Amino acid sequence: MKWIREIWQSIVRRDPLSTDKGKSELVFLNVWLHIHPAKVKRENLRFKYSFYLGFITFFLFLILLTTGIALMCYYRPYPPAAYQDMKDLQFAVFMGSFLRNMHRWAAHAMVVCVFLHMCRVFYTGSYKKPRQFNWVVGVMLLLLTLGLSFTGYLLPWDQLAYWAITVGTNIGSYAPLVGGKLRELLLGGHTVGEAALLRFYVLHVAVLPSLVILFTIVHFWRVRKDGGLSRPIWKLKPQKTEALVTIGAPAAVAPLQVTAASKDKTYGLMEVVTGKPIFETVTPEEEEDTVFSYPYAFVREAVALMATVTTIMAISLFFKAPLEEMANPAVTPNPAKAPWYFLGLQELVSHSALLGGVVVPALMVIALIAIPYIDRNPSRRPRDRKWAIWLFTFFVVANILLIIVGTFFRGPGWAWVPPWVHVVARPE
Amino acid sequence: MNRRNFLSWGTAGMAALCSAVGVSFGAVVRFLVPSVFYGPPQSFKIGNPGDFPYGPPTFLADEKIFVFRDRERGFAVASAVCTHLGCTVAYFQDDREFHCPCHGSVFSPTGAVLHGPAPQSLNWFEVTLTRDGQLRVDKDKVVPPTYRLMV
Repeated sequence: MKWIREIWQSIVRRDPLSTDKGKSELVFLNVWLHIHPAKVKRENLRFKYSFYLGFITFFLFLILLTTGIALMCYYRPYPPAAYQDMKDLQFAVFMGSFLRNMHRWAAHAMVVCVFLHMCRVFYTGSYKKPRQFNWVVGVMLLLLTLGLSFTGYLLPWDQLAYWAITVGTNIGSYAPLVGGKLRELLLGGHTVGEAALLRFYVLHVAVLPSLVILFTIVHFWRVRKDGGLSRPIWKLKPQKTEALVTIGAPAAVAPLQVTAASKDKTYGLMEVVTGKPIFETVTPEEEEDTVFSYPYAFVREAVALMATVTTIMAISLFFKAPLEEMANPAVTPNPAKAPWYFLGLQELVSHSALLGGVVVPALMVIALIAIPYIDRNPSRRPRDRKWAIWLFTFFVVANILLIIVGTFFRGPGWAWVPPWVHVVARPE
Repeated sequence: MNRRNFLSWGTAGMAALCSAVGVSFGAVVRFLVPSVFYGPPQSFKIGNPGDFPYGPPTFLADEKIFVFRDRERGFAVASAVCTHLGCTVAYFQDDREFHCPCHGSVFSPTGAVLHGPAPQSLNWFEVTLTRDGQLRVDKDKVVPPTYRLMV
């Protein structure tokens, strides 16, 4: 049996898990787990702090990757084959309908979870120093998620897809000077057609997922390097607030300096940097607040993974992803709506194209990116940042209200209708 | 290598690198702009004048146009694409108006905006007679709504 143990040892390299050293080594000697620290703050594991929204979003992305790859085996990205393949997936392919449902509902769920995750990070003030840049990376991931969902929307090549993308890309073409050209570049033509379907497919299965993976790696890496998850607000101690928000480069310590070497020679920075390294320094009492990532964090993450997969599977068993009749450029369904997360914009566009198509989305993206640099208030306590919270909440609520209006209260000709019409008078 | 040499070579090198990146970026953008569009052609024949009745306009779904034929004034061709977000408008003979299903824009018989968010009136396209006696529509040539082809 010794040789089995030796082979096992050669794979895992670590000490037995019964020891503290083994628990630490499990994390930092393992290529998958080493993005975790060996120990994490106990309070950060509480569900009520983060709701595990970041993890859930990531797990949804994993579901989308796996189901997406499966769907690719049966999908040809040109009309009308694309639509026939959808019908095949729906009725002929073993488990095809279930996989497509999972892909569709996980995609919607990911848009929702990215948004909720952003709200959580805002309300806990976790975008503040030193985490400003990771907030920006997060905003990029939000935009990429919307891009992925939007490009995926066209692929079924049904009426819903065709007109949502026609309306959606026309919203973008209101951008001054470049709007129309960008639309043509995206569509590969003047209208949504064969070229557009192929381009959306390339973006959906290759370009955007690669970018999401890249940004996710940076996002996770920065979570660790910026000192792990931010400390829950209820654990902030008064005297510690200042020190905590200046993790990384405490004001009292001299900034990093490069020592002058001999006059005629230049060294690489890494060799001669002096000063205090940019790490969070942990005091003994803080050390007592931490637990080993294995098993405490991993078990919780595994539970979150299983809960996410189970939920999406359950939804996919009972709710079918919509598939309307094949795309018909000549007949516009009445009303024609963009994907739901753009319905707020479409509602604005129905009043003013420039406002809804250009001004509001551009300002929203710029404002989101700039939040950590505009908000210089170092405190993370809600009572110290009433203005920031009110302002952010106003935009969140306005966005949600506009989406609700666009989804449920707009009928044929974009006229006001009561929401129950959608239930009673479905076209099919 | 002295400082002057280092800086001048360095500047030249950086300039070369930046231009290489710039040219490559331009090439990528140009690559993405199709040289040939395989969509429906902008200029096409729609048939003989006799194919089109007097009275309500004929809607050609693939071309997304309305062909009007008037006994006194001749032929005119209007775009069926709403100027707001590209939906296909419908023509209602009773009130002689174009209605867009997407955001409720309403256009007059001349294509002018009556209600709704559409920023400009519907386009009218040039229609001409070819040598073989067919009507030809050119979507690249926008004409005023008063334009008519007498056959």
